[in-house]
Amino acid sequence: MIKFEETVLKNGLKIIVHEDTATTMAAVNILYKVGSRDEDIQQTGFAHLFEHFMFEGSKNIPEFDTPLQNAGGENNAFTSTDITNYYDILPANNLETAFWLESDRMLSLAFDEESLNTQKNVVMEEFKEHYINQPYGDVWHKMCALAYKVHPYQWPVIGLNLEHIEQVKMQSAKDFFFKYYRPNNAVLVVGGNVKANEVFALAEKWFGEIPSGEKITRNLPKEPIQNEERILEVKADVPVHSIYKAYKIGTRNSADFYATDLLRDILSNGDSSRLYRQLVKEEKLFSSISAYGTDSIDEGLLLVEGKLSKDISMDVAEKAIEKVLHEMTQEKISDDELEKVKNKIEAYMVFSEVNVLNRVMNLAYFEMLGNAADVNNEAEKYRAVTAEQMQAAAAKVFRKENCNTIRYFSNN
Amino acid sequence: MNRQLAPEINLIDSITFPNVEQLKLDNGVPVYLLNEGVQDVVKIELMFKAGKWFESKNLIADFTNRMLREGTKNYSAKQIADTFDYYGANFNTSSGFETAGASLFSLTKHIDLLLPVFAEIFTESVFPENELNTILSNRTQRLSVDLKKNDFLANRDFLNALFGKNHPYGRVSEFEHFENIFVDDLKAFYKSYYSATNLTILVAGKFSPSLVEQLNKYFGSKNLLRDVPAAPIDYAIESSAERIHHTEKSDSVQSAIIIGNMSINKTHPDFLKLSVLNTVFGGYFGSRLMSNIREEKGYTYGIYSSFASYPHAGFIEIASEVGKDVRDATLKEIQHEINVLRTELIDEEELQVVKNYMSGKILRSIDGPLKFSETLKGLLIYNQDVSYIDQLLKTVREVTSDELLQLAQKYFDYDKMYKVTVG
Repeated sequence: MIKFEETVLKNGLKIIVHEDTATTMAAVNILYKVGSRDEDIQQTGFAHLFEHFMFEGSKNIPEFDTPLQNAGGENNAFTSTDITNYYDILPANNLETAFWLESDRMLSLAFDEESLNTQKNVVMEEFKEHYINQPYGDVWHKMCALAYKVHPYQWPVIGLNLEHIEQVKMQSAKDFFFKYYRPNNAVLVVGGNVKANEVFALAEKWFGEIPSGEKITRNLPKEPIQNEERILEVKADVPVHSIYKAYKIGTRNSADFYATDLLRDILSNGDSSRLYRQLVKEEKLFSSISAYGTDSIDEGLLLVEGKLSKDISMDVAEKAIEKVLHEMTQEKISDDELEKVKNKIEAYMVFSEVNVLNRVMNLAYFEMLGNAADVNNEAEKYRAVTAEQMQAAAAKVFRKENCNTIRYFSNN
Repeated sequence: MNRQLAPEINLIDSITFPNVEQLKLDNGVPVYLLNEGVQDVVKIELMFKAGKWFESKNLIADFTNRMLREGTKNYSAKQIADTFDYYGANFNTSSGFETAGASLFSLTKHIDLLLPVFAEIFTESVFPENELNTILSNRTQRLSVDLKKNDFLANRDFLNALFGKNHPYGRVSEFEHFENIFVDDLKAFYKSYYSATNLTILVAGKFSPSLVEQLNKYFGSKNLLRDVPAAPIDYAIESSAERIHHTEKSDSVQSAIIIGNMSINKTHPDFLKLSVLNTVFGGYFGSRLMSNIREEKGYTYGIYSSFASYPHAGFIEIASEVGKDVRDATLKEIQHEINVLRTELIDEEELQVVKNYMSGKILRSIDGPLKFSETLKGLLIYNQDVSYIDQLLKTVREVTSDELLQLAQKYFDYDKMYKVTVG
């Protein structure tokens, strides 16, 4: 149970405070409700590049990191398809330093040309490091394009290509900032050894005068229902055959989200999970295999990804995965196995609350979804899932015509 | 309100450690209890002196550790996995240069049920051959993928250049090593090194004091004590005569760089001050390497330096992945930064930021029992206790630019460094 208090400033900034006297630290998390799904198809990778730019100095402060480090703090950020999330963790008695820094970069950036150019280079190197100079590095680009034809999830957060990043102009950065980086489009969560009323006062002091922005309305193109099996075959200089099967699943707020999420745990959470036990340990068809979800707000993907064992054919391997998935549509999951995945989720949630930073991030995320208090209802929602609901979810998801497959062949 | 004016900051001048209770089981096994958690979770970590240093054949330490979960006298690999998974527990094994072991993360309410299985892994492992064969072939596949990664290759070349192929720190895995691992090797290693004589236990989280009785029941018997083979004498370090090791990869768009040389480890009196100097140079996001090579030049996504410390050796390592076209330019900038470090006093403002940053990092390293247990584990390997953290904080507060300049001249020498590049 994560306790918290909340308020909203006049400019629309939501403030949430979670007090925890067991730590000496304070964690400050600002979530901006903007991600790569808000990008133009001609300028992909922009939201993430912009995240880098947010550290390059604001209106009154030449640089973000040094003053925070000087206060004994550390910070980082990440961008997803749906959100951009910034966090600072520092000794609680230096909390105001984080307010000073975060509020100034919400007020206005420095918009320095040279820093933008440097960050473009840094991000292009990040792109190369993770997506070009890696075996199988291009697979996520290929999968997004295969699974989505219309929706912006068709490109990865890092961007479609290096050129899009290289071509970014300052004006785009300014427009993007003054549209999305406004208090009414953000959630500020502070946790740790702090007092709610003091945090509210600091919030008013530092963020109160920042002008509100326009109300954001999203008209993202809706991905049409997929009704044909999609297969892409790739041959590349990789040592091992690999296969990726991505099934479309519902939105984050769809009724069967929790049942679908538990399917993934049945498949791939721990050494007793079905894919590992049957296909790695018993049949020895794969040297590694896993299932994971994209955890997105709009219609997402549930993926199965495996590296084939030596001398196993793609066809045999793929049929074996399909068989495991098909079983879940035909047979009800046993009480024991259902209890197991629920226990796993319960433990996962308690462990995720050990760290105060995780707690504030979770509060921000659930507030963005609609209501911070829902963070405390998650366990119950997973507990309530029945074997029948999971079988129905499996039948809905694990269909050939709902699947996007990449057969990634080694040409060695 | 003047937004250009930073709020006043409070300096960290002392730290209050969470309570650590130290005791011994009936057979003498040392136990450290960090019972200060808020959440009802517990982590039990078993640490054996059973790392790579003690193996007589490459990868035996690693595979003995990896195979622990694959079957015991009374439980098959399947039953072990079923039990841990059913109760939502996480079982992790790990094997390093010096120590190897395992940890169990569990909700406190299930720990009594899990302990019998967890304990048997360390007292009655059987190393089934069929499970070993599966793990071996999977690891072979993984190695073939890793060998396609420039950073992986650079790291191998670097350790090899520093220590030579005959030293446990310099020995890397080759395909033929996998063919030379047999159940009997693992059983012998297990028998010699996974004994109570060689064990330290850390427990962290929120738990009942009766957990100690349970630990005594499973790990406290004198029957679990065994003679540990005499520690190997120091292996000879056979550093490469050649300082420059480049592997060209025509299809790469980036090069992995690792440069560095042998240095001191944690037991040396200069080490604490040197860790401050390293932070200035390349040890945090605001470091000189990062500011110059990432934030000014945009050559890389990240560049770091560290003084790696192991019980039998230490070395400095500067690592990055950079655009292929700026590989030489990056090396030149690293050389330049080393020269500046050796010739110019660090200005007070820069040093103060590093001191404050490091003090905050020390606070974070003891924040909460799970985090603190990791920090404590790192100290126990060197037979140190929490007073080391106090010393570190004191050093951070007191070290001067003059002292750091002397250290820079003593420990940073670009010409002596091995330059390994791949890509």
